[in-house]
Amino acid sequence: MHAHKIMVRNPESAHIDEQVGKVLVRMRSLKLRMLPVLSDGNHVEGVISTYSVMSHIVPNYIVSGDLESVPYAPDLGLLRRHYRELAGKTVREVMEKPLCVHLDESLLSVAAALCSFGKHEYALVVDGDSRLMGVISAGDILDRLRLHAEGELDA
Amino acid sequence: MHDAPHVAGAVIFGLDPLWLAVGILLAIYAVVMLEKFNRAVLALLGAGMMILGGVLTQQQAVAGIDFNTIGLLTGMMVIVAISQKTGMFQYVAIRSAKVVRGRPWGVLVMLSVVTAVFSAFLDNVTTVLLVAPVTLLITDALGVRPYPYLFAQILASNIGGTATLIGDPPNIMIGSAAHLSFYDFLANLAPIIPLIFLMTLAAIWLMFGRDLHASEESRDLIMQFNEREAIKDATLLKKCLFVLALVIGGFTVAHDFHLEPATIAMSGAALLLLLQTWGQPLSEKDHAYEGIMAEVEWTTIFFFVGLFIIVTGVEHTGAIAWLAERTLALTGGDFNATLAAVLWISAVASALIDNIPFVATMIPMIHNMAPTFGGEAALVPLWWALALGACLGGNGSLIGASANLIVAGFAQRAGYPIRFLEFMKHAFLLMLLSIAVSHVYLYLRYLA
Repeated sequence: MHAHKIMVRNPESAHIDEQVGKVLVRMRSLKLRMLPVLSDGNHVEGVISTYSVMSHIVPNYIVSGDLESVPYAPDLGLLRRHYRELAGKTVREVMEKPLCVHLDESLLSVAAALCSFGKHEYALVVDGDSRLMGVISAGDILDRLRLHAEGELDA
Repeated sequence: MHDAPHVAGAVIFGLDPLWLAVGILLAIYAVVMLEKFNRAVLALLGAGMMILGGVLTQQQAVAGIDFNTIGLLTGMMVIVAISQKTGMFQYVAIRSAKVVRGRPWGVLVMLSVVTAVFSAFLDNVTTVLLVAPVTLLITDALGVRPYPYLFAQILASNIGGTATLIGDPPNIMIGSAAHLSFYDFLANLAPIIPLIFLMTLAAIWLMFGRDLHASEESRDLIMQFNEREAIKDATLLKKCLFVLALVIGGFTVAHDFHLEPATIAMSGAALLLLLQTWGQPLSEKDHAYEGIMAEVEWTTIFFFVGLFIIVTGVEHTGAIAWLAERTLALTGGDFNATLAAVLWISAVASALIDNIPFVATMIPMIHNMAPTFGGEAALVPLWWALALGACLGGNGSLIGASANLIVAGFAQRAGYPIRFLEFMKHAFLLMLLSIAVSHVYLYLRYLA
């Protein structure tokens, strides 16, 4: 089975020059943890996720373990300021590399790619010009497998 | 060339012992500088080659190890390893930032003072290891670029470490070799350190001070820090402060009681190890003891052991005496010129190579100058010149001292890399300035 058969079409996305703050509001209201980032012409440029935003808010010197515990720091104040600074930036400054698969990729290959890139909520299905055609999450694959197992769909 | 080499027995393959020993020394220096292998392993390998090659017997090699330096270093490392668990470094750093109400320049000055004072009484590497990450947090809260703060901290650690016998490994080696006490260092080196420190801060102000601004909101954030939360173990902190006070007091009076600094440091370490787990079951005591021993920098200790043996080997061949004679020939046997040469060459060399092997080589060389200048007592200003040159020289480049590289590593990981040339552009001139001030001081105090 090929990717285009089970992908979700017309997914929600963010434009590369949108402000991070606005995108985050949209993500939270839609209960989405990741969005494809597109440039003009629907070309895939990256993904923005709650993790990628968070990794820009928590300082590197803490993430790296150089400063192990900071019970003495006003964490909310620090994080709030970092969030405010980040919210005004464009998505291109925060986005991460996407996990892309082609329209004719096999289901097994898409599943393997999702397992290898664990932190990605879903794979972006693109055509030959890197234009976004749809998305496939691990849940989509599992749903399809479950339906097959229950005999509701033909193999 | 100096007298014939007085080596113990037959040298391997009938080689000239002098060239073999010098070859080993230079090869080990060169490979250490490449930073491709562990330096302790290299030094021990070189030491083994000195014995296996027939330059030294094992007895001569062991006799060449300065156990006063080794004991002092190990003892202080144990005390520092326990003290750093208390959170006192972080407490003092945050408190100092709050004392100046988060004003950016005031914070830079206070963190530099804290670093310099800690570095004078504890080792520089531990000081920056614990203060630099807190500095990144404070500059982050202030919303200012961390580079000026980290730059000042590097310089402060090396300047502060110059002030005392225990501040920097070269001083420990010099103090032990020349029988100079903790008090001698305080009386002879400490007086010039505040002036060098203030001049350095003034230069840093000119370079960065006017660009340091923080909003009221950012400064409020600093005032919201709760430094009391930094103290992880108040009981242990009291024990550490008690033992540190005893040890530093002991250092200042050790000379009067004919005690070596290593005795004071090792006794203090043993006492703190005892107090640290007082009242706990034996299994927990053993566990804590093993944890502390694992934190002792054995690489540094064994690097010293190997280095002492290598330098002893070279010394036995007469090469260092020859080098001393050549130096004296170049300076015409003039004490002023020799002092200037020791000071400036030490500074430039220490900026570019590891100052520990450099000082290890310079010590016997200066000893060899004693007959020319009228005995060991006359050499004292040369020891101060070597200490000032070797310690302050570490500020000349990013590779000049271990503490510099530690801070650079933190900066890199935090996303604010300190570029080698950028650092050197700012620091080398400041280092030369500090050496010029030291030269004037040495001249006025000992030569005029």
